[in-house]
Amino acid sequence: MPQMFRRGRFWIQLGVVVALMAFGGLLINNITVNLIRTGLGLDFGWLWRPAGFALAETALPYAPTDSYAWALVIGWMNSLKVILVGLLLATMLGVAAGAARSSRNRLLRSLSGGYVALIRQVPLLLQLLFWYFVAFLGLPDTPVGGLIHVSNQGIRLLGLNLSVEFCSVLTGLVVFTGASIAEIVRGGINAVSRGQWEAFRSLGLSEGLGLRRIVLPQALPAILPALTSQYLNLAKNSTLAIAVGYADLYAVSDTTITQTGRAIEGFLLLLLSFLLLNLVISGGMALMNRAVLGRLQRSR
Amino acid sequence: MSRPISCRLIGAVGGLIGLLSGCATLGDGTGSRLDLVQERGELFCGVSGKIPGFSFLSPDGRYAGLDVDLCKAMAAAFVGDSSKVQYRPLTAPERFTALRSGEIDLLSRNTTHTLSRDAAGGNGLSFAPTVFHDGQGLMVSVGSGVRSMADLSGKAICVGSGTTTEQNLNDAFAAQGLPYTPIKYQDLNQVVGGYLQGRCAAMTSDRSQLASARSGFKDPQEHVILADRLSKEPLAPAVVGGDQRMADATNWVVYALIEAEERGITQANLDDVLEQAVADPSQAALRRFLGVDGGLGAKLGLPDDFVVQVIRATGNYGEIYNRHLGPGSAVTIPRGPNRLGGEGGLMIAPPFT
Amino acid sequence: MNRWLDRWLTLMLLALLGWAGWSCLHWLWHGADWTVVVTNLPLYAVGSYPDAERWRPLLCIVAVVVLIVITLLGPRHGGWRRSLPLLWSAMAPLGIWLLAGGLGLSPVGTQSWGGFSLTLLLTAGSGLLALPLGVLLALGRRSDLPVLRGGSTAYIELMRAIPLIAVLFFGQLLIPLFLPPGVEINRVLRAVVAFALFAAAYIAEDVRGGLQAIPPTQREAAAVLGLSPWQSLQLVVLPQAFRVALPSLTNQAVGLLQNTSLMAILGLVELLGISRSLLANPAFIGRYLEVYIWLAAVYWLACTAMALLARHLEIQLDPVRSAR
Repeated sequence: MPQMFRRGRFWIQLGVVVALMAFGGLLINNITVNLIRTGLGLDFGWLWRPAGFALAETALPYAPTDSYAWALVIGWMNSLKVILVGLLLATMLGVAAGAARSSRNRLLRSLSGGYVALIRQVPLLLQLLFWYFVAFLGLPDTPVGGLIHVSNQGIRLLGLNLSVEFCSVLTGLVVFTGASIAEIVRGGINAVSRGQWEAFRSLGLSEGLGLRRIVLPQALPAILPALTSQYLNLAKNSTLAIAVGYADLYAVSDTTITQTGRAIEGFLLLLLSFLLLNLVISGGMALMNRAVLGRLQRSR
Repeated sequence: MSRPISCRLIGAVGGLIGLLSGCATLGDGTGSRLDLVQERGELFCGVSGKIPGFSFLSPDGRYAGLDVDLCKAMAAAFVGDSSKVQYRPLTAPERFTALRSGEIDLLSRNTTHTLSRDAAGGNGLSFAPTVFHDGQGLMVSVGSGVRSMADLSGKAICVGSGTTTEQNLNDAFAAQGLPYTPIKYQDLNQVVGGYLQGRCAAMTSDRSQLASARSGFKDPQEHVILADRLSKEPLAPAVVGGDQRMADATNWVVYALIEAEERGITQANLDDVLEQAVADPSQAALRRFLGVDGGLGAKLGLPDDFVVQVIRATGNYGEIYNRHLGPGSAVTIPRGPNRLGGEGGLMIAPPFT
Repeated sequence: MNRWLDRWLTLMLLALLGWAGWSCLHWLWHGADWTVVVTNLPLYAVGSYPDAERWRPLLCIVAVVVLIVITLLGPRHGGWRRSLPLLWSAMAPLGIWLLAGGLGLSPVGTQSWGGFSLTLLLTAGSGLLALPLGVLLALGRRSDLPVLRGGSTAYIELMRAIPLIAVLFFGQLLIPLFLPPGVEINRVLRAVVAFALFAAAYIAEDVRGGLQAIPPTQREAAAVLGLSPWQSLQLVVLPQAFRVALPSLTNQAVGLLQNTSLMAILGLVELLGISRSLLANPAFIGRYLEVYIWLAAVYWLACTAMALLARHLEIQLDPVRSAR
């Protein structure tokens, strides 16, 4: 007789299922009543109405007469902009800071340690507010060389106009995630046996070369899984951009929901977008994981 | 063998859930909000907490302002005690859902009365009479050289998101064909912060909020509110639509405040006037107003002397206005359209008959 | 050549640090206007709690601080050491009783709670709610029943994909829809529930990692000894799983404390929220640098204290493993 139906186990499972059913039924009853009462049913027709609000940053042409759907797409692109650049810069910063922890230079070691200890213990939202209101909005109007122009309206870099909002969200995310990545890289580097360090030093290789060619590649398998979750964290944390006025997907959804009142549909759309992003990042990292492991296997 | 059984189990579960949701009825929950408040003995009032002069959290932890005094007046009328109010600070995006879901009884939060908010097909709210006639305006610094809306073409403008302010700004600028860049923040103090930092050339909000914000600047005279009026902003308290008794009660409390000012009844002289009214039967209109006879309160579901309770708690409309927005207070806004109808303003109450 | 570069780099960094440090200290002492912090200390600590009852949340905060100090110093006396876990678990109901009232203390509604006391309560409340839920989810994900496994996996993966701010925001909006009309739970409770639902998914993954680290021989040994599956779970498997998962779980706890700041975006007046309210006061407009530095200091102290406590706990429970 199958495991599931052996005497005691069966009744316990039946009990659990009935309890869950009753609870689920109660919830569904409540939600149906409330949806009817408050008129918040499912309906996506509003997506094609004109949005009626302007957006400060648009990767593609957008006018307030465009539909809500297009506004959401623009918000989505703004999110992607800050996430992709953020992932790149955070990785660079994190690897540099993590590697600095094993440097021979005591100052570099303590700087990196201090950076991590400080940044990881302060909430990201507070850091974002700081970067925006204190740092970037306080920038004096100065041209730096011919190519860069810095002001509290934004930074003009090689023809690109980067708004203050974008810069502060990017900086906040990069600094915060960089600290977590630094910890992961440090852990990964520590996992590489000391023998490897002594070997390349005795061969006369410089620190930098040894780190890049010998230690880091061996640390990768330990780093990659945790790195994936940090990347996902960065993507999710980008939604805090609403606090500093950056028009990312969540901010545009927020305005849309306020104007149309359709909270449930807005939530579903947001959910779908982030699931998609999640899949893409996890999938990409899984591929990289396989490639790295494959190469390591082959080189052994 | 186990597969068909677990399939049947899942089928049974699904069937039962379908049955239960089919049984969903609107059943209870159709009584008036007014009864609920009176039973509970306390009024849940949605406010902002961040708008000086209207609803503001002071360092000793108390809320104060015009909107707050309205909540107190309502509580005095509904439950007889103006201190029986729970203030719930709400952000702009969630204020309507809070009202509709029943989390608050009354929204007294600088809310503009618009068609979309009134209509059953929109937000489905019910607005009390306007307690503050306002309009949206733009504030710029004197040094920027901006003199009118047209000078702001192509510039950055700080605005709070999730309010009619955003839409009005858009409509006004689009109507004149002027491009602009909106910098959206979540609440007014961030808008002010961004504007003071120089992120934008101008900030926009209701003129009353602009004035109240400016009152706190280090150099208020360096900032000017442009003459352009971007919109009409009649600010009024709101309750959930479709609840006639709650709406009536709320409306007539506001009218009572206005009527009291018309009659010259203040917190100070209330008791004397009441004595007079009780003693003199020929003062029919006054007696009806103060609830000495006529039974007007009972028609609304309120105690007959609700007007007396209200005036005793907060004073009349003029007193409330001067307390928070008058010449002696931190935020000074000239009454303008908020004067009584007889003095050239828009505040008029229908007769208490 | 490398060495000269090294030395030069060090010197430049030192000079830069020195200059930055000096100007910061100078500003902190002379340029900053700390009245916004000093005059509002009660608000930061307890929000708009009624004046007469302010001693209650303050007592709460003081009790927590004292308990932390005692725990970290590590009392020698055996009796004290044994009573520490008891004292810690008594903090939660004690805290709720002090803040909410009832049973001898006058009741104070949740919308009067605010400031740091609310931050502590949100963290503790969500954590306590999320922990059993997370354990259940982890067990569910490893169970044989396809419905339970599928459901748990779906829930965990969904919650880990959505940003916290979305969960909190929609929790505020959508939780009331699950309640019968007329019943309403206050915003603080809704925030705690939404937060707990979110954190449970992460805790589930950590606990699952811990469960996976236990070799199946443990379960077989327990079965041989005559323990029922439930007993073996309670007495053998879960304690070991917790010990393995402890570092990640304590990380989650610190994350919980930090993430309470997100409630400010929803208008809750915990520490960050009350600061934003304060900054709207005409007297304090534009003073956000002082406020943010003060907040950063408070959060840093709180999170570091938590991290130290976590480390202490790890060493206590598993001296061998945590020595690595």
